[in-house]
Amino acid sequence: MSDAKTERLINLTLALLATKRYLKKSEILSNVFGYEGSQEAKERMFERDKDDLRSLGIEIEVGDLDIFFEDEPGYRIPQKSYELSVPQLTGRELALLSIASKHWNDSILAPSAQSGIRKLQSLGIPAEVDFDFRMKYRFENPTALLDDITRAINQKSKITFSYDSKKMQVRHVEAYRVLFWNGFWYLIGMDLDRQDIRIFKISRIVSTITLAKKKNDYQVPENFDSKSFLPKSNPNILTRARIDIRKDTALILRNRGTLIQQGVEYDTFEISYENQLAFLRELIWYETNVKVIEPLDLRDALVELLSGSIR
Amino acid sequence: MSETALDRTARALDLVPYLLEHQGISTRELADVFGVSEKQINEDLVLIHMCGLPGYTPLELIDMYYEDGYVTVSDPQSLNKPRKMNRSEMTSLLVSLDLMATLRSDEIASEIAILQEKLRTSLQVENPIVVIQDASASPFLKNLEDAISKSAPVRIIYLSGSKDERTERIILPLELYIDNKATYLSAWCQKSNADRTFRLDRIISCETVDLQNFTSTIKSSQNSFETGQIIIEIDSAARNFIEDNRAIISKIRERVGDQPLIVELSAIDSRWLIHTVLGYGGLIKVLEPAQIGEEIADKAAAICASYQPK
Repeated sequence: MSDAKTERLINLTLALLATKRYLKKSEILSNVFGYEGSQEAKERMFERDKDDLRSLGIEIEVGDLDIFFEDEPGYRIPQKSYELSVPQLTGRELALLSIASKHWNDSILAPSAQSGIRKLQSLGIPAEVDFDFRMKYRFENPTALLDDITRAINQKSKITFSYDSKKMQVRHVEAYRVLFWNGFWYLIGMDLDRQDIRIFKISRIVSTITLAKKKNDYQVPENFDSKSFLPKSNPNILTRARIDIRKDTALILRNRGTLIQQGVEYDTFEISYENQLAFLRELIWYETNVKVIEPLDLRDALVELLSGSIR
Repeated sequence: MSETALDRTARALDLVPYLLEHQGISTRELADVFGVSEKQINEDLVLIHMCGLPGYTPLELIDMYYEDGYVTVSDPQSLNKPRKMNRSEMTSLLVSLDLMATLRSDEIASEIAILQEKLRTSLQVENPIVVIQDASASPFLKNLEDAISKSAPVRIIYLSGSKDERTERIILPLELYIDNKATYLSAWCQKSNADRTFRLDRIISCETVDLQNFTSTIKSSQNSFETGQIIIEIDSAARNFIEDNRAIISKIRERVGDQPLIVELSAIDSRWLIHTVLGYGGLIKVLEPAQIGEEIADKAAAICASYQPK
């Protein structure tokens, strides 16, 4: 059963690709191998096969009627629309792509990266490998939701899902982009209930994702810059702190800071930081070997944070 | 049967042009490339062998030859070129390249940029995935990659965070990886006579050494830590602890109502645990071992006390 259908689909593709002119439906049904049964059964088969091939992304062109063929439509697959073409791809670039495509280990992105690279390797470009990459990447495995979200972004359909926040909440979102940020997956988009752009961690989506039926229902703002919505990461907002560091301790901090004054027991350093919490966590490592002098709010925040752990 | 006729058709359409460019390939390798069993590949080949153009005389069939597990195609009929990539194939590849670009700062990064431009123009796809990586590129990356390729030792000066010391060591680099926001190197360390992990941003010097008698006994070392079973309680506001430390979580216990999460950790360095928990300001509590919980409270009190006016 599966064999017969696969064989017929391949034969149909071959025939429609090979033809320069449009093939009449009657020609296809009588000449392409695999169409059997009553006329009606054959036609039903052909209609389904066309849909199937289109679902594989193969474009079947329906031709203008030739006046000699009365009202019968004609079909063909234009080679140009069928074939992959990447002009001027070099062997070295193909090798780079092959290496890049291996970053996905066994995750759900791996099969599509693998089949993509297979197609490129069928273009007849000899790959030249003279480099050796050693960098591996550890990341959160994307879930199947990723595919739903990219599809929604692609067709601009609004989505609905439940999100694990303070209270379990149903969110309605116009998805703009997926962010792969430091190994974790996020969705950024317009939260329609809040009327604001929000970032959602995809692993905290606790339901399936429902795509609205309507397509092209919104637009991603032009030149949308996801990065500007991330908390922090603006090198211009660095805060400078003055920290006393005990002699011969906190070597990593010393390495990163500027020595301002040498003392007997402590040296004073100036150290810049972006994110207060991250900096406090770093300081905690050195316990009483470091002491925040300025700014005062950093000092207060440190005491406040630690107070939470005192019994 | 999980595979549909459509899946199989898609694979067959890809197989023929791939074979055309990889003449004489073994069915075993084909199975590997296409991610299916060798048996499946053989069945596919039998099927493709029977396909062709209307007329279906030997001249019009796909002409293929397979013997002793090796395959050659002499006439692919109209299947001489690969199909266009679909949206997920293009997206996966573009994201792969973006990712690789963020990991490099050398000349390869600019080659990748040119390649990305070529693909964007010829594939005509909107890539919905944006890659952002904060790990800074290390000036020693190339050095270390070379060392791994040649199995050559290097001498590094390293600032150890947990022990707060500066050490010089000779190491044999084994693997580089990015995890979360930092790049790490795992290496066999002569000083410790075991595998160790180094953060690249804490390596402050790195040079190749030419050692005649550098011998290493590489063994997968299981770090032995003094902590036994660790049980912690996590407020939901601190759940990013779970996401960021997947490697050490051994069990997340069933949550009852609005109760905080109870999580079991595998044995880890107690210094790491203490300082990390301190950084969560009470949102994480160590239930077991109890004495670690006490130590955390003591340290917090000691640091706070140092800010009290004397």
